[in-house]
Amino acid sequence: MDSEIQGQIMEKFRQGFLARHQACRQWKKSGRGVMGCFYGLVPREVVHAAGFLPVQLLEERDARLEDKARLLPFLCGMSKNITGQIYEGRYEYLDGILVGTVCDTNRHVLDIWAHRKVVPYLRLLRTPSKADHAAWKFYAADLRRLARELEQMGGQEVTEKRLWESIELYNQNRILMERFRSSRNTLGISAQDALYVLASSLVMPVENHNELLRSLLQTPARAWDKKSTGPGILICAMNLNMAWDIIRLVEEYGGRVVADDFTINARYGISLVPRQEDPFLALAIGYLRRVPAPGLYSFQERAESLAQQMNSSGAQGLIYLVQLYCDAYAMEYAVLKEKFDLWGIPHMRLEAEDNSASIQQLNVRVQSFLESLI
Amino acid sequence: MQDASTTPPDLKSMVKKLSAGASYRRMLAASEQGRPICVASAAVPVEVLYAMDVYPVFPESLAAIAAGIRKADEFFEAARERGFSNSVCSYTRCGLGIAWTQKSAFGPIPEPDLFITDVSVCCLHVTWWAYLEEHFKKPTFYMDMPATDDPWDPEYVAYYEEQIRAMVGFIEEHTGCRLHMDRLKEAVSNSDLAGLYWKKILELRRHKPSPVSFRNLAGEILPLVTALGEKDCADFYWALYEAYKQQAAQGYSPAQGGERFRLIWNGIPIWHHLQVINYFEEKGANFVWEPYTALSWGNKTPTGRLDPEEPFRTLAQKYTNILTNMPLHRRFQYFDQAIRDYQVDGLVMFSNRSCRPQSIGQDEVVEMVREIHGLPVLIFEGDQADAEGFSLQEAKTRIDGFLEILQSSKRG
Ligand code: SF4
Ligand code: SF4
Repeated sequence: MDSEIQGQIMEKFRQGFLARHQACRQWKKSGRGVMGCFYGLVPREVVHAAGFLPVQLLEERDARLEDKARLLPFLCGMSKNITGQIYEGRYEYLDGILVGTVCDTNRHVLDIWAHRKVVPYLRLLRTPSKADHAAWKFYAADLRRLARELEQMGGQEVTEKRLWESIELYNQNRILMERFRSSRNTLGISAQDALYVLASSLVMPVENHNELLRSLLQTPARAWDKKSTGPGILICAMNLNMAWDIIRLVEEYGGRVVADDFTINARYGISLVPRQEDPFLALAIGYLRRVPAPGLYSFQERAESLAQQMNSSGAQGLIYLVQLYCDAYAMEYAVLKEKFDLWGIPHMRLEAEDNSASIQQLNVRVQSFLESLI
Repeated sequence: MQDASTTPPDLKSMVKKLSAGASYRRMLAASEQGRPICVASAAVPVEVLYAMDVYPVFPESLAAIAAGIRKADEFFEAARERGFSNSVCSYTRCGLGIAWTQKSAFGPIPEPDLFITDVSVCCLHVTWWAYLEEHFKKPTFYMDMPATDDPWDPEYVAYYEEQIRAMVGFIEEHTGCRLHMDRLKEAVSNSDLAGLYWKKILELRRHKPSPVSFRNLAGEILPLVTALGEKDCADFYWALYEAYKQQAAQGYSPAQGGERFRLIWNGIPIWHHLQVINYFEEKGANFVWEPYTALSWGNKTPTGRLDPEEPFRTLAQKYTNILTNMPLHRRFQYFDQAIRDYQVDGLVMFSNRSCRPQSIGQDEVVEMVREIHGLPVLIFEGDQADAEGFSLQEAKTRIDGFLEILQSSKRG
């Protein structure tokens, strides 16, 4: 019975993610706007407070999309895939797209989208890479401008009160996500399902996601399905489809993915947007160098948090999955690698394209990595 | 501006003073004199470093030199050994290789004392310098410049100006060097003159035929990187300008057999095969404009001059205007203008797999150029510093084909 309830909740997370386009169209029908966010550095609270639904642009596996994008061959598959989706009209419901720079590619594909006028509103956020008083002030001013622009686009007025309410909702989401992350093994939720919980948080209304998380966390603990006693793995990735594939590969070779780490959720739960006098300033403080984007987050903290996650989840090895041609994450790995080596954390980098053939090619490497951990 | 009645310095002796080899020797001398050595990136307001007696070393430039004399392989290898994916920019891989091995193409390099980078150039600059910081455990400063569509927005310039002041504080704290305003004004004034003559040289290329070869300019850019702010640097560009002016008066053209085609080169030069440019020139094609020379260096302020009396503000305006941080529509405007001003016949777009920020959007620029100007375009792929997979013969074949198209479109 308990597992049936849990199964129903999990299904809602899955559908929240899988049926996101339909849900967004439905939302539009209610007369409210939808704003695309290109990655985790976009403060969704401002979008939410203006009455728009913030949805992260996510990859979809479909080999045709890459060709449709007509981008340079040495750009990452993520940008090609999302561009292909936009050109194909899969995001036709978007009122705009906000880009928070994590790399040169995501910053400049925006230019191409602007050139092709893919959505009515495209906005590059002026996100500093530092986190000091000057940077917070500068970013807060940009967020304030963003709020005014969203209001003019037909959003609701972003009053301080509204913004605080949004901040509160997202902070709750962070706290709940962190609780979920630390208890997902005792809840008996598989790594694949856990990914749906994360993925849906990127596209669902935060209120609904919070509600689902609360219900999930209330379901009784279940014995961890110990079909496999193989080595536990922590997986670092930024492409959801690729992560699902690697989880399957790990399981195929007798391992278990016991923890995962994505830009958007790593340390997400513990870096809350603080209470400040000015909510825009609070957001600047809450986001700048707080979201673990490569280079825009302390490597030391990131490495330490991964080491700590290894510890708490009982993982024996770490798989760091990089999208081919993603120099941002490729560079980050090179920095982290030295620390992992120093700390004796067994780790492996996998670099692939987001397609089944490319991932399947990695199976020998996954297998031998798992064997090396036994 | 220099007094028109004075004689320009002798070009040969200036070249000697500012060559790549000379800049290496100056670095050793600076280190021996106990001057702090700072590993700085492109787009760091280097005038400030000169004014403070800090000697800057530029890894991008060392990487370009190493690639140019085909001595970069061991540095790439060092990066590979440390887990760097080949998809990471070759300047970064090579620059890190140089840092780890502590030697450049000319010989050993002294241990640096501090690190400064400007994060707006490309995203790698944050990670790259973070890596150096980790490795050398030395003080590191990040000049923060958020991505923007409007580099001269006063609020943005003010933010950057604050960064420059913070950089001064950082240097003072970690080196004991002090900033003297008169030295800074002098450095800005020298930089202004160097930039001014650079601009005049570029303008000479409007002449038909253009007297200036891109092959030469690629080498002559070095002092703008390694000696900006020094009087020698300003003198060098003055002498260079005078020499090119004379050549223009004589109707000289680097294009052999006369200038048949006037072209634009988009991208960083292919340092490991600069012969590609020579080949164009052999065939009567001359490059008359490049974003790399025209938009990356010199006085990139709204007025085209630097104001030594407002050194921080003027440097902020100059350094917020970064080519790789420019939105596509502004890049296109520059192309559009240059095509008209320089009477261009065709474009060569170097699709550089290393430099995403320069290459991305190229196809869209080509589209706009074709739509408005209908010019032939050659796109070829490669890498500015990593010669792997590059075939000169293949490049030549493609260039031949392109020149034929240019020929027939001219006839048409
Ligand atoms: S972070 Fe990597 S995968 Fe994402 S857009 Fe940038 S290069 Fe592509
Ligand atoms: S990616 Fe481009 S801007 Fe960045 S270091 Fe490489 S060549 Fe320079």
